[in-house]
Amino acid sequence: MEDLENNTTVFSTLRSLNNFIAQRVEGVSGLATPGSSQSSLQMQYQQRVQLEEQAGQIHSKSQLLQVEREKMQMELSHKRARIELEKAANTNARNYEREADRNQELLTRIKQYQEREIEAENKLKEQMEMNKSYKKSMETVSKKLQEKESKLAEANETITVLKGKISELQWNIMNQEMQMTSQDSQKQELMEQLDVQHKKWQEASQQIQTLQASQSLLAEYEQKIKDLEQKFSQQEHDTLIVKNMKAELARFPKMERELRQLREENAYFREMKENNGLLKEEVEGLQRKLERYEKVQAQLVTLELENEKLLGKLKSWEKLDQSTGLNIRTPDDLSRQIVALQQRELVLKEQNSTITNSARILEKARQQLQEEIIRVQSQLLDEKKKREQHEALVRRLQKRVLLLTKERDGMRAILESYDSELTPSEHSPQLNRRMREAEEMVQKLHAHNTELEGQLSQVLEEVGNHKQRAEMLEVEMKVLKSQESTADQSVFVTKEEVDALRLKIEELEAERSKLEGENRALEMKLEKLTLQGDYDPSKTKVLHFSMNPASLAKQQRKEEQQQLQEECERLRELVRVLEGGGSIPENLEGVGSFQSPQEVAELKKQVESAELKNQRLKEVFQTKIQEFRKVCYTLTGYQIDITTENQYRLTSIYAEHQGDCLLFKASSSSGGKMQLLETEFSRTIRELIELHLLRQDSIPAFLSALTLDLFSRQTIA
Amino acid sequence: MAKQLGRDQQGITLRGSAEIVAEFFSYGINSILYQRGIYPPETFTRVQKYGLTLLVTTDPELKNYLNNVVEQMKDWLYKCIVQRLVVVISSIENNEVLERWQFDIECDKAAKDESAPREKSQKAIQDEIRSVIRQITATVTFLPLLETACAFDLLIYTDKDLAVPEKWEESGPQFIANSEEVRLRSFTTTIHKVNSMVAYKKDSFS
Repeated sequence: MEDLENNTTVFSTLRSLNNFIAQRVEGVSGLATPGSSQSSLQMQYQQRVQLEEQAGQIHSKSQLLQVEREKMQMELSHKRARIELEKAANTNARNYEREADRNQELLTRIKQYQEREIEAENKLKEQMEMNKSYKKSMETVSKKLQEKESKLAEANETITVLKGKISELQWNIMNQEMQMTSQDSQKQELMEQLDVQHKKWQEASQQIQTLQASQSLLAEYEQKIKDLEQKFSQQEHDTLIVKNMKAELARFPKMERELRQLREENAYFREMKENNGLLKEEVEGLQRKLERYEKVQAQLVTLELENEKLLGKLKSWEKLDQSTGLNIRTPDDLSRQIVALQQRELVLKEQNSTITNSARILEKARQQLQEEIIRVQSQLLDEKKKREQHEALVRRLQKRVLLLTKERDGMRAILESYDSELTPSEHSPQLNRRMREAEEMVQKLHAHNTELEGQLSQVLEEVGNHKQRAEMLEVEMKVLKSQESTADQSVFVTKEEVDALRLKIEELEAERSKLEGENRALEMKLEKLTLQGDYDPSKTKVLHFSMNPASLAKQQRKEEQQQLQEECERLRELVRVLEGGGSIPENLEGVGSFQSPQEVAELKKQVESAELKNQRLKEVFQTKIQEFRKVCYTLTGYQIDITTENQYRLTSIYAEHQGDCLLFKASSSSGGKMQLLETEFSRTIRELIELHLLRQDSIPAFLSALTLDLFSRQTIA
Repeated sequence: MAKQLGRDQQGITLRGSAEIVAEFFSYGINSILYQRGIYPPETFTRVQKYGLTLLVTTDPELKNYLNNVVEQMKDWLYKCIVQRLVVVISSIENNEVLERWQFDIECDKAAKDESAPREKSQKAIQDEIRSVIRQITATVTFLPLLETACAFDLLIYTDKDLAVPEKWEESGPQFIANSEEVRLRSFTTTIHKVNSMVAYKKDSFS
């Protein structure tokens, strides 16, 4: 429809265009030649065709436009679709990511679960193994149990067999007892025989003893015989000796004589010996003396030498005396001389000092004089200059005088010429006046001249005075110089003084150095003291923090000490009380408890443990006692119960009734002797009591007999 | 404050000098206490200072005490009225003085009126302090062993006209009866000069 409409519009436009073209063609044709109508038709046709073509083009153009628009629309829709698709894609991608994440999480979970599973499996395996081991152990235990049961059965069998054996053995014992009694009677017979034999043996032994005595006597006699034989032989020997002695006796008087001689000689020798000792002592004394003498001699020689030396010295002294001309003969003289010399020296020293003083004074004076000389010389120079000036002045004045005289002469000559030329009458007064004037002038000049001459002479006089003074000063100078030379001599004298001064200076130097040393030592000390922490209390004070660690530590220590002392006191008190035997007083008990809660706790623990032990022991004892009683019951066949103090009730295993029992009473607490008490049951077994208790006095035998009796009764039954 | 001054200005002011010297005392006393075993070694912690590893106490009571003293010292150093600081080590048992670490302080009182700072670099001073502390550490080699339990006290020698502040009191000099002395290095901030020395009880066996 749209296309159609569009076509219509195209056609209408086309028509209008055709109209427009027709008009133009009419106009053109009007203008154009009529011969060209055919061509115009053709032209029209062509135009038409062209127009149609144009229309077709336009139509195609419009169609193209339409198509383009459609394309635009399509593109738009495409774009929209694409955007939507993209959005969808995004959302899908997101979903996909989420899914992937979830997947991963799930995978991790799966892995965890797998791990857990594996663990669980492992555990299961372990459990299974454990189970198996348990089963195995169970089996082994059951096997053991079976074995034990079989053993038990065997043991029971053996027990029964053993019981049979026991009964047999008991029978055997009975038989053997019977045999024993028979053997006892035999033994008694044998004993009697033995006694008879014994008596016989005793007799025999007595006989043996007598025999032994006789034998010993015999031996003694033999010994005696031997002794006698020995004595005999000795006697023979003695006779021989006696014979020898007799021979010797014959020689005896001779011997005595010799002895006397020897004694005499001996005495003589002794005396000699004494003499000898004396002589020796003398010799020693002499030797000592000799030594001394020798020493003395040596000393003498040295003394002589010294003496010679001293004589030489004395001579030299005497010579000195001669040479010096002093009368020194003795040391006193010498000392006197020395004193005199010293005095002289002192005097000289004094002189010296006075001289030096004077020298100093002179020196000063000399200096003053020199200064004066200088001054005077300068004055002299001034004077000389003045004189020269004056002389020059004099010369000038003389020259002037000469000039003036020449002038005067010239003037006179002129005046005379005038006088001669002119008439004196006219000019004479004038001339006279002039003359007078000139003369006055001359006189004045003369006066002046004389004055100057006077001055000159005065100056000359002054110069002379100065010269005199200079001469005097020179003289003085000379004197001073001579004095100076003498002073040089005195310098020689003052040298001693200088030396003394030097010595003093040296002493002072020494003192100074000593003081310096002391100063240094003191400084060192000061240094050391400062090192040790010394200070000047007038300038310094020492402060410290009152709560310093040292004092804190000390305080703590003190407190601790005090506490310990108190504790010690308390404990001492406690010890004293305990030693006195008294009970712990309350306050000290408090101390004990206060002392150490720790200890108390420990003690409590100990008590608890002890109680526990006790209980355990009790239990053990209980079980043991039960066991023991059971064992006793089974072994002896009697159950023993304690009814009251020192009373024991025995019930046999084979008792016919439950009430059948025996009562025994211990006479002493240690259970040494037992007495059977009467019971209903005991009355029924009088025979056994009579046989075993009264006759044989044996409780075990009685009890065994009773058991046998009861057992036989039961087995019979 | 001191550091700032030291950094900002090339020189040393009175306040800065007091600060530096007080700080030195704090570290020096800590070093002595550690080296001489007055307090157990486990109560000390390591600190970097003056280019050295120094040990400083962590005991709160001791820390408090040292802070008190050092603060007071700072004030006095600023006023130039302190002459000497002594660390006295004595036996707790019988109060016998066994060691005295003495730090003589020479104050340049002229610096009080001056306003211009002195010229000396912070580094040069720190170098000097470092050598003093090193020497304190090295003295352990020759000082006799302290066999008994010991405590320490800090004595401060001040000018006579000083009013005693609260919590402080006058004390004796606590000399050692028979002592040997060793002079240690010194350092100076150009305002305060600190000469250190140690005196110790002569060993009776030697």
